[in-house]
Amino acid sequence: MHKIRYIALKELFHILRDFRSLLIVLAMPVMMTFLYGYAINMDIENIVISVVDLDKTAASRELTDRFFKSNYFSMAEEAPDFDDPEQLLRSDNATAILLIRPGFSEALQRGEKFQLGMTVDGSDASLASAVQAYSDAILLQFLMDRLPVGFEPPGLTVSRQVLYNPDLQSSHFFVPGLVAIILLMVSALLTSITIAREKETGTMEQLLTAPVKPYQILLGKLLPYIFIAFIDGVLVLIFAQTVFDVPFQGSYLLLLLFGFIYVATALSIGILISSLVRTQQVAMMIALVSTLLPSVMLSGFIFAIKNMPFLLQAVSRIVPATYFLKIIRGVMLKATGVETLIVPAASLVGLMVILLLLATRSFKTRIG
Amino acid sequence: MDMTHDGPLDSKRCAVEVDQLTRKFGDFTAVDAISLRVEYGEIFGFLGANGAGKTTAIRMLCGLLLPTSGTGRVAGFDVHRQPEMIKKSIGYMSQKFSLYPDLTGRENLEFYGAAYGLSRDRTRTRVEALSERLNLACFLNELSGDLPVGWRQRLALAASLLHQPKILFLDEPTGGVDPVFRRKFWGLLYELADEGVCIFVTTHYMDEAEYCGRVSIMHRGQIIEQGRPFELIKSGGFENLEEMFVDLIRSRGAARA
Amino acid sequence: MFRAFVGLVRKEFIQVWRDRNMLRLIFAIPILQLLILGYAVNTDVEQLATDVYDFDQTRMSREFIRSFEPGDYFVTEPQLTAEEQPLWNLDERFRTGSAELALVIPEDFSEELNQGKNVTIGLIADGTDANAARAGLGYSSLIVRRFSEQVTGFSQPIELRHKFLYNPELESVYYMVPGIVATLLTMVTVMLTSMAIVREREMGTLEQLTVTPISSTALLLGKISTFGLLGMIEMVIALAVGIFWFGIPFVGSPILLFLLSALYLLTTLGMGMFFSTVTSTQQQAMFLAWFFSVFAILTSGFFTPISNMPHWLQHFTLLNPMRYFMEVVRGIMMKGAGPADLLPQIVGMAAYGAVIFGLSALRFRKRTA
Repeated sequence: MHKIRYIALKELFHILRDFRSLLIVLAMPVMMTFLYGYAINMDIENIVISVVDLDKTAASRELTDRFFKSNYFSMAEEAPDFDDPEQLLRSDNATAILLIRPGFSEALQRGEKFQLGMTVDGSDASLASAVQAYSDAILLQFLMDRLPVGFEPPGLTVSRQVLYNPDLQSSHFFVPGLVAIILLMVSALLTSITIAREKETGTMEQLLTAPVKPYQILLGKLLPYIFIAFIDGVLVLIFAQTVFDVPFQGSYLLLLLFGFIYVATALSIGILISSLVRTQQVAMMIALVSTLLPSVMLSGFIFAIKNMPFLLQAVSRIVPATYFLKIIRGVMLKATGVETLIVPAASLVGLMVILLLLATRSFKTRIG
Repeated sequence: MDMTHDGPLDSKRCAVEVDQLTRKFGDFTAVDAISLRVEYGEIFGFLGANGAGKTTAIRMLCGLLLPTSGTGRVAGFDVHRQPEMIKKSIGYMSQKFSLYPDLTGRENLEFYGAAYGLSRDRTRTRVEALSERLNLACFLNELSGDLPVGWRQRLALAASLLHQPKILFLDEPTGGVDPVFRRKFWGLLYELADEGVCIFVTTHYMDEAEYCGRVSIMHRGQIIEQGRPFELIKSGGFENLEEMFVDLIRSRGAARA
Repeated sequence: MFRAFVGLVRKEFIQVWRDRNMLRLIFAIPILQLLILGYAVNTDVEQLATDVYDFDQTRMSREFIRSFEPGDYFVTEPQLTAEEQPLWNLDERFRTGSAELALVIPEDFSEELNQGKNVTIGLIADGTDANAARAGLGYSSLIVRRFSEQVTGFSQPIELRHKFLYNPELESVYYMVPGIVATLLTMVTVMLTSMAIVREREMGTLEQLTVTPISSTALLLGKISTFGLLGMIEMVIALAVGIFWFGIPFVGSPILLFLLSALYLLTTLGMGMFFSTVTSTQQQAMFLAWFFSVFAILTSGFFTPISNMPHWLQHFTLLNPMRYFMEVVRGIMMKGAGPADLLPQIVGMAAYGAVIFGLSALRFRKRTA
């Protein structure tokens, strides 16, 4: 038992002595949360557009005003060039140009049909859709407000309600996912190079000549990283709750338990990779491709799984982050209980067991 | 303004000549006013414990580090003002036998040839010549990382000789090499010295120091003893250099206390 | 001096070639990444699980429900039937994730509509995925409006017509692929360069090199040329996959793209060099390079537009060279932007590149001296 402790301590000292690495390992998750939280903002606002008002009436000015008074749009700094209006879009100085032709106000007063045109830069599809949705909504509201008071137009009105995240803050969606990603990154990356490093420098041989069993080496190496991963996880959670106001509705204990299982899984992957490769560079690249990439892309972190082709959906089933993401989102945002989480939880545990076994076997045969 | 290589005049036989050479790092004096003269054809041993200042001194002589004060000429070039010319004229073999493990022996040599500005043909000729002399033929096509230490040592020596320098600096060249190889290595060094090459060796193996023509012993940045090994031993009444060295250090330490 | 440079580049290439694993990775990664991303990337919201609570149960209400079906945006599931007692288990359905949207149709739905009056229906969305919620509410509003116009004959006179340029089908893939190209170029060059230089330092061969008459300039150039070239090769592979496999458009000039990529390389290689001078182990170099890459990618406008970010962060991104490159790649590939259109980006990259490269070269020289 104390052999494990000895190895764990040695690894910990190694980490602590490497001050720069340590700094990065602790500071990075915090910075990343910070960045992700602010940078990945799917709440699309402040879209830069240009309004060309050729009607120049009180009505057209009011409409223009509405566009820019809303949070959704902000005014472009330049006006489009009449010979080449698209240049504004090509040079990324505006996302859309709204053209109000002469005759708008008249048609409005007479209740006649009239068409307004909007040229939109479609390269960013979600931005373009947002432009469409917002501009439609603003126009609709403008028209509704012009109707006589008390007059309810025949037809349907929609009453909307949003549950769990009434302000539709996308950070509530992403930040819990961030915890998963960061924990994974720290665990897998760190362990993937730790063994490769010892192999490169030759100290692994020395370690093995000592009367220590391979599984003791493995455990000893894992412990400090579990510790660090947890510190990182807690840091990110604190940050999420204080800076981004992400709620925590469910049970801390539950999250702790599953967090532990998840970290163990991530570490096993790291160990597995580490034992298979010779150089640190290769270890790192493989770790990146096999852990980070699928976890960010295929786990449901940003992109919905059910929209993906069957093959990718199948792959997402063996990505640990997929399950942990369901768990952490459920616990933090919806206060889901154990009953609902049984399926992802079991899957996660299953994955952990398989990976741990693989990692230990690989470690034993290749290094032990 | 002195810009010419005034070799032929008074330093014809002098390969390395330094006077009161000093190097400070902030408050710490790594090399403290050392003076020595080494001639072409000599094998000069630079002894001392780790941290005595040997490496810093060598680096100054190789043009890698500028001295804080003092004067020096290596291969006739000034250590202050002409370090680049010095680099061209000397050969250096580092402690780690810095060869690229993922390159073959031949590729390593070809690379260093290019690094020293030798043309393709010239490099090829030199590689053949050195390979014959040092018996490297069968190892040229092996990855240098796969070679046993003794052969890596030979290869590293070959790499430092490609451009036929007249001065060789060898930093702990026999570290980790078995005695048979070590002896052969010294044999090679003797041959080179006979051909007029000045060889500067640092080592902490006292028994090897006795192979050198002259030695100097560094301690805490200063040269505390210099001369022929045989004479130094005899005048002090010691059995070998090692004894003398230990006694010296002890007496120095006592004097300081 | 040229001979030394050539010798250096030759050595670097031999080393890369010998490391088979690395080589495989370098070529496999862009292909893999693109394939995964190309198929996974889908910010288009589709197939929202919609629970329908139809309290009206008339022909009109059923027709209304059917109007949600085309286009695959909604997958409706009736929660009430005429025979059974109404089950109001909305809360549990949302909590377990079985429903993402709920449509509530009141009792007097068809009655009121037939009389030409106004009826309010309810739409409840799961806000956890804000993007999906917003999109769901948006699409459904459109459908509601159309149905309403159809039944009552009443519609708004002023219409807004949108014309989408460059990407009329609004494919989200088209926007991602150029971003991936930029990302790949950045990550590969920064990480590999910094680690490679540190590796030589760790092995001790760097010291050996400084003793030779190779000037530090030649040394630097020799090292980075290799990785610059590798980065470009990766970029070409990524572009090829994107264009031939996914069919993304390439409207602008390839020559311009390559020229500007080379310009951008100055910055990334410079950063790689810089990192190698402030770290002593490969592990540190890797972390630092990784940290920088993540930071750069996030704030470059890859995932979300920069105009979306808070103002202070927007100003901050002006310091991110990748932001400029992202605009360049997307501009050239999707919009056919020319040098005139991209002038600010070109100037930005050039300035950045010169400063970083110069600084790193200086530091490198000092460190090895």
